[in-house]
Amino acid sequence: MSVPVYILKRALQALPLLLIISIMSFTMLKLAPVDPLAHLRANPAISQAAIKAEEERLGLDKPAHVQYFIWLKNLMQGDLGVSTSGSPVVVLLMQRAGNTLLLSVLSLIFTWLIAAPAGVYAAVHRGKWIDKLFSIITAVGMSMPTFLMALLLLMVALATRALPIGGLTSPYFFERDAVGQILDIAHHLVIPVAVLTFVNLAHIQRQMRANLLDVLRAEYIRTARAKGLSENKVIFRHAVRTAINPLITILGFEFAFLLSGAALTETVLAFPGLGRLTLEAVLTKDMNLVMASLMLGSAMLILGNLLADVLLKFVDPRITLE
Amino acid sequence: MKTAVLGITLIALAGTMYGCTPRASSEGDIAVKQAVQQDDKESRQEAKAGSNATSGKATGDLKYTQLASITGPTDDSHLIAGDSSTESDDVWQTPAHPSEESTKEFARELKEDAERLAQESARNQEALAKAIHRAPNPGPFKLVEVKAKGQDGAEEVVECWQARGKPGEFGGTLTVSTFGSGPKTFNYWAHQDAESAGIGYLMFERFLDLDPWTGETYPRLAKSIKVSADHKEYIITLRKGLKWSDGSPLTADDVVYTFDTIVRRGFGNSSTRDTLSVFGKFPTVRKIDDLTVSFQTSHPFAPFLNCLLNAPIAPKHVLEKITNRPMEEFHSFWDVNCDPSTLVVSGPFKLGRYVPGQRIEMVRNRNYAMVDKLGRRLPYLDKFVVAIVPDQNTQILKFYGNELDVLDIKSVRGFDAALMKQKEESGNFKMYNLGPDDGTVFLMFNMNRRENPKGNKNDPKKRYYVDPVKQKWFNDPHFRQAVSHAINRKRIVDNVLRGVGMSLYTSESPASLYFNRNLKPFPQDLNYAAELLARGGFVKKGGKLYDRDGNAVEFTLNTNAGNTARDATCIMIVNDLKKLGMKVNYQPIDFNILVDKTHTSLDWEAIVMGLTGDKVEPYNGANVWKSDGRIHMFDQRLPDSNGRTTVSDARDWEKEIDRNLDLAATTFDEKLRHKYFDRYQQIAYEQQPFIYLYCILDIASARNKLGNYAPTPLGITYQPKGSFHNLEELYIIAARH
Repeated sequence: MSVPVYILKRALQALPLLLIISIMSFTMLKLAPVDPLAHLRANPAISQAAIKAEEERLGLDKPAHVQYFIWLKNLMQGDLGVSTSGSPVVVLLMQRAGNTLLLSVLSLIFTWLIAAPAGVYAAVHRGKWIDKLFSIITAVGMSMPTFLMALLLLMVALATRALPIGGLTSPYFFERDAVGQILDIAHHLVIPVAVLTFVNLAHIQRQMRANLLDVLRAEYIRTARAKGLSENKVIFRHAVRTAINPLITILGFEFAFLLSGAALTETVLAFPGLGRLTLEAVLTKDMNLVMASLMLGSAMLILGNLLADVLLKFVDPRITLE
Repeated sequence: MKTAVLGITLIALAGTMYGCTPRASSEGDIAVKQAVQQDDKESRQEAKAGSNATSGKATGDLKYTQLASITGPTDDSHLIAGDSSTESDDVWQTPAHPSEESTKEFARELKEDAERLAQESARNQEALAKAIHRAPNPGPFKLVEVKAKGQDGAEEVVECWQARGKPGEFGGTLTVSTFGSGPKTFNYWAHQDAESAGIGYLMFERFLDLDPWTGETYPRLAKSIKVSADHKEYIITLRKGLKWSDGSPLTADDVVYTFDTIVRRGFGNSSTRDTLSVFGKFPTVRKIDDLTVSFQTSHPFAPFLNCLLNAPIAPKHVLEKITNRPMEEFHSFWDVNCDPSTLVVSGPFKLGRYVPGQRIEMVRNRNYAMVDKLGRRLPYLDKFVVAIVPDQNTQILKFYGNELDVLDIKSVRGFDAALMKQKEESGNFKMYNLGPDDGTVFLMFNMNRRENPKGNKNDPKKRYYVDPVKQKWFNDPHFRQAVSHAINRKRIVDNVLRGVGMSLYTSESPASLYFNRNLKPFPQDLNYAAELLARGGFVKKGGKLYDRDGNAVEFTLNTNAGNTARDATCIMIVNDLKKLGMKVNYQPIDFNILVDKTHTSLDWEAIVMGLTGDKVEPYNGANVWKSDGRIHMFDQRLPDSNGRTTVSDARDWEKEIDRNLDLAATTFDEKLRHKYFDRYQQIAYEQQPFIYLYCILDIASARNKLGNYAPTPLGITYQPKGSFHNLEELYIIAARH
């Protein structure tokens, strides 16, 4: 099967999957005894008539399945609806998506740039002090809650006064020139990128190390060494290329979390991202916004998996697309 | 040993707040234990909050002295000995047949206790009153005429209010923050959340405003308010020469349009219409001349002027285009994605830029009609920036890191206050204690006695909203009183709020101008609680409480998850009630689920939650207290499909509250109003449908470079306007070289 046909087939398979996911998410959200108008009901300054008007405006007075079909119909026409605040969901998502993407892509790059070589190095120098050091660092990163890590770094920022405390831009951002603006954003990104990188370091580094160790035990590596190939060639030409396969699958998964993986970090660091927006929407049962976020997340996961499969095909000639 | 010392320090700390010494009785010992446990938890939270906390003892001592100094000088003569009531783990045995002698003795003790407490409370009030920051009252505004160039170049006269502070310096940016996810709209009239209202008040000047010192209504955009002798007509005159930010004149047409079109027809948030309606009738609004408007109500209605505060005047020439279109379009007009240059405002600031999820940048409105004592047009500030911070710890770190100039009230929690006090000098800021907040936190039982139309008719337990067995308990005033007397409010204030709060016993917070000072606070008294339960026919056997039919007393207590103070409060309540033999199953749930229970499904037993109040007009709580009220949560009656609520089973005291509130709303005699509001609070105190627990103290922190900052307890509104009642005359004091 050629690659384009394979992609088309997978895309067609994804459609019913997305539909099922949407029904499931919608049902679960509706079943939750969460009152989307709670902040109005608990406010003594809001009258009964105002609440009723709001219910009608948001369509909450209709039965759940009717609400779902309205949502689905709008989705087919490319309309994601309006959030409870009255703003179109698309606009809200677009405002935040860029920021989150910037944060996740940067931390993804840093994670891989650090973790993959560290994994290789640790595997080659297995049992040496540097391997142990790496395993301690990654264990700390893996076991520390992200919000705690973020708060600790904020406190470091406060103590040193070297970094801004949360946010993405400073109040004078728009008065600066292009270079100044880029520097300002970079300055603000240091802490969030550091947090996410540190937290994600562990599983890539350990996966890389374990895979490589497996491969290094394989017979063809022994053959390669026996042939008298240089150690560098053995490791980088033969071992690493084979060991990287499972990591490509992981990369596919990470693709799914590009837009949704950092809600807690974003909240603690006052970062204007999509995760924080979604988290706030879930807590207030802002249906259209939550559904849009969930669908976006699911689509990204399916796309990520597809990308990983196709990439594997190119990296590993043993794999055929069925 | 170190921890024990710390525990005592904590109690001493609270003692200072309340003007009494730490107790040496056995209650003191238990409190020490509790305090120590609590302290472990809180020191962790402090680490989270960014303290550079030193060792336990040092921090404790600092807190003691420092907190005392936030709340102001405490006079040693206020110190009195604590009460002698004791408590142990198994507190009381049901008095099988209390002899007449012992009952008399008991009654005498109770009376003495009450008297002593009354004295203590009076002293506490005094001490607290002294500690509250009070900027001196500068007296009323002065009206001055200022000459300005009109659009056609001709000179025009503008009537401006003259700011009351000292002349300041122009320029600079003030950065504050709001905690949360940011405003939902910039259309004030469509707002439904506090944050959007707070932003709205910066951009849209109110017709009338509350004097931050006296709580009286004074003209703001208006020049004068005249009330007719029968208290049914209000003639309000606007100032001359007022202009919108786009240069169009602001006249009586805008006022009539605001009330007669936007409010009366219910555009956006229709609640204003309902609060302005007197017994269901909306007042007639009539234009008399270009600057004068008359409001006519069907009945005399005392809170009327206060209700007018809710609607700033809207620009007719801009909004008319929208209100001529279908109603739902009004909601998305001037929403958060609007182009800021389309906003036409009358307040001191105008939206400059909204950066979603990060901040709101407000810029000066050059047409704002207020001048300083030198006749210069205000505001002084070029920019007013509101950072949006979703996490409270981050907000405080940002303040410490100099990224924020002011941390307004409610951003400083009890356990932050002491730490913050230590940093006052190095951080170049000052903390202001603005006294008790108007918000109250209470425990309530579901007193609903009606059948659930969706219930199961054949199952006696499921036929009603509340299990009939439990209905009996919750509707027994002895039961509620007993619970109220069994809760140790003082310990909650000391340990949960770290002393930055006050115990509450009735419906109005002590901040209210109508607070009933005759209702005496009472201490935790488990013996009295047991006595009350015995009177209600409850019996304690083997550590468990049974009602007269032999059912073990057990119920579920909910509160909103994620609120650490309420969580800790609930745990303390569970422990206190356990001593009475009640089994309380505590379950924190999400806020939106909690509200679904209290307002829709009515499926709950006991809940701890809070409500905002009003320091100036208790009638604004009618929504909660009237038997058909929309938030009459302890016995919520649901509206029918037309939104109407019928009440068929109001208790006598509910009716009496209804009557007193209505009487207070329809008289203009202040003495009578006090009498009616006192009575309503007294009923709440006797019946305890809401068992009030505490209110927090409002503390704001502002950098010393902020000139003319004069926060007052009454001059507080929604953030980000918050305590900046005189925002136009705030200025940044330039650094002197």
